[in-house]
Amino acid sequence: MYKIDLENISFGYEEENLIIPVIKDVHLSIKEGEFVSIIGPSGCGKSTLLSLLAGLNFPSYGKILLDNKEVTGTGNERGVVFQHYSLFPWMSARKNIIFGLQQLDKNRNQKDIEKIADEYLDLVGLKEVSHKYPSQLSGGMQQRVAIARAFAMDSDILLMDEPFSAVDAKNRMALQELLLDLWNNGKKKKTVVFVTHDVDEAVLLSDRIIVMSANSKSIKEEINVDFSRPRNRSILSKNNTYTELRHMLVQLLFDDLINGTESEVWEAS
Amino acid sequence: MRRVLNITNILFVAIIGLELLLPAKRSSEIIYTQELIGIIIGIELLYSLNMIYKKDEKKRQSLGDITALVYGCILIWELLTTKLDILHNLLFPMPGEVVAVFLSEIPTLLDGLSSSLYLLTIGYTLALVTAIPLALIIGWRKRLFLAVNPLTKVLGPIPPIVYIPYAIAILPTFKSASIFIIFIGAFWPIFINTLNGTFNIDKRIIDSAKVLNVKEHTMLFKIILPGVLPSIISGTTVGLVLSFILLTSAEMIGASSGLGWYVKYFSDFADYPRVVVGIIFIGMVVTGITYCFDKIESQLLKWKN
Repeated sequence: MYKIDLENISFGYEEENLIIPVIKDVHLSIKEGEFVSIIGPSGCGKSTLLSLLAGLNFPSYGKILLDNKEVTGTGNERGVVFQHYSLFPWMSARKNIIFGLQQLDKNRNQKDIEKIADEYLDLVGLKEVSHKYPSQLSGGMQQRVAIARAFAMDSDILLMDEPFSAVDAKNRMALQELLLDLWNNGKKKKTVVFVTHDVDEAVLLSDRIIVMSANSKSIKEEINVDFSRPRNRSILSKNNTYTELRHMLVQLLFDDLINGTESEVWEAS
Repeated sequence: MRRVLNITNILFVAIIGLELLLPAKRSSEIIYTQELIGIIIGIELLYSLNMIYKKDEKKRQSLGDITALVYGCILIWELLTTKLDILHNLLFPMPGEVVAVFLSEIPTLLDGLSSSLYLLTIGYTLALVTAIPLALIIGWRKRLFLAVNPLTKVLGPIPPIVYIPYAIAILPTFKSASIFIIFIGAFWPIFINTLNGTFNIDKRIIDSAKVLNVKEHTMLFKIILPGVLPSIISGTTVGLVLSFILLTSAEMIGASSGLGWYVKYFSDFADYPRVVVGIIFIGMVVTGITYCFDKIESQLLKWKN
């Protein structure tokens, strides 16, 4: 049994009686504890796919199953980290985590909640700035808080939509390491779906990479990444298999760009 | 030396010199030299104290410029009235006289202030507690928004001042009519700003809240309310100024107390020193209220950069 099952998913949005397709015929099954990255050029529907998984949008056709139950909306078993505005700007870093925890269980003891929040702030190295507002933190720090909240809320599934894209290269590496640490060291490994357009990031983090195409709006290729964990990026970069894999992924993305086709529309039913 | 010999201090010395050296031309029993010198020394003291404590060079400079402007106005006013007697002696009281009347009128002015603030507080609070929740709920429900928004476009821009005679006619007391007018004046700006702020709130913030599984009331009051607070506050500021204008207008029409009434009452008696005093006092009150409002605003929005 799979943790996540996407059965024949299509999604489009309606515009003047026509449906503009965003995703077409996506089949995908993800095992419990698996780290899956979805990569593809912009317009391939990778972020939309994640919003369907999060329960923010609903597929036009097909269904999404979590533990064999159909998704009907957002849920506590899924934590989400976005590229921007995962945090509420009017709450301090600590309050953001506390607020998330409070939504899980309103009757939970406030002291326990604060303890967990402080623990995770410490874990991501932000104890000193926990009272600051997001606007007073760097982009990297904001994403640390968002990750801390997601792990503090301890959902089975973690959905991440280009979480490190707006962060500079140095901080991005640090965030990738942090994410892998938290993921590896949890009591139970979370199932992660990670959307990115960064090939290196996908290879470093994932068990499996799903390549989506902006032309077909569907999955173009699935690639298993078999490097043992924990992975070291400098050792990986000297590995021939890594170089080949990386080259193949870049080629797949590039092919998609030059073989562009006219976009089509469906008649609204 | 440059610290002392600036335009502000030169104007200060000029006014004092003018007072002591140039004889008054206006024929009046009293020419209020002491009062004028008193207020000038008061301003100068306030200014000097600020200069001692303020360190920021830009702030010091603009403080000096503001004080210089005030001195300039008083100097011209004094010249045109007391000293050269160019302006009409009934319509344009002397600055010293205004100071003297102001001091003697403080108890009456404070009574007027409390009467005005009482009406303002009730009307404005009513507008706050109705407009904000209503706009949040309507702005959050797209269908309601699409129905209500065109109506607000028609009703909102009607100048509330046109309601004054009708409100006075249909409501039993002048007080209730004033409260109603203030309410209307404050309601629309607050309502429209909150409504549009809610409808146009950044979808990414809403998504972030949705994925945390927030309940409906948490969404409205813990996410949308703070999220649209910047829009709400710009509405409340406009609403406050507008309701103060309406209040004083209403008081000039039908009241027997309050700041608007004070100005109107003494203009009927052609007691222009008191009229000028009333106008200056209203200016001070509005400045005070706006100042408090700015403080509250920066406190509430300190999370914004």
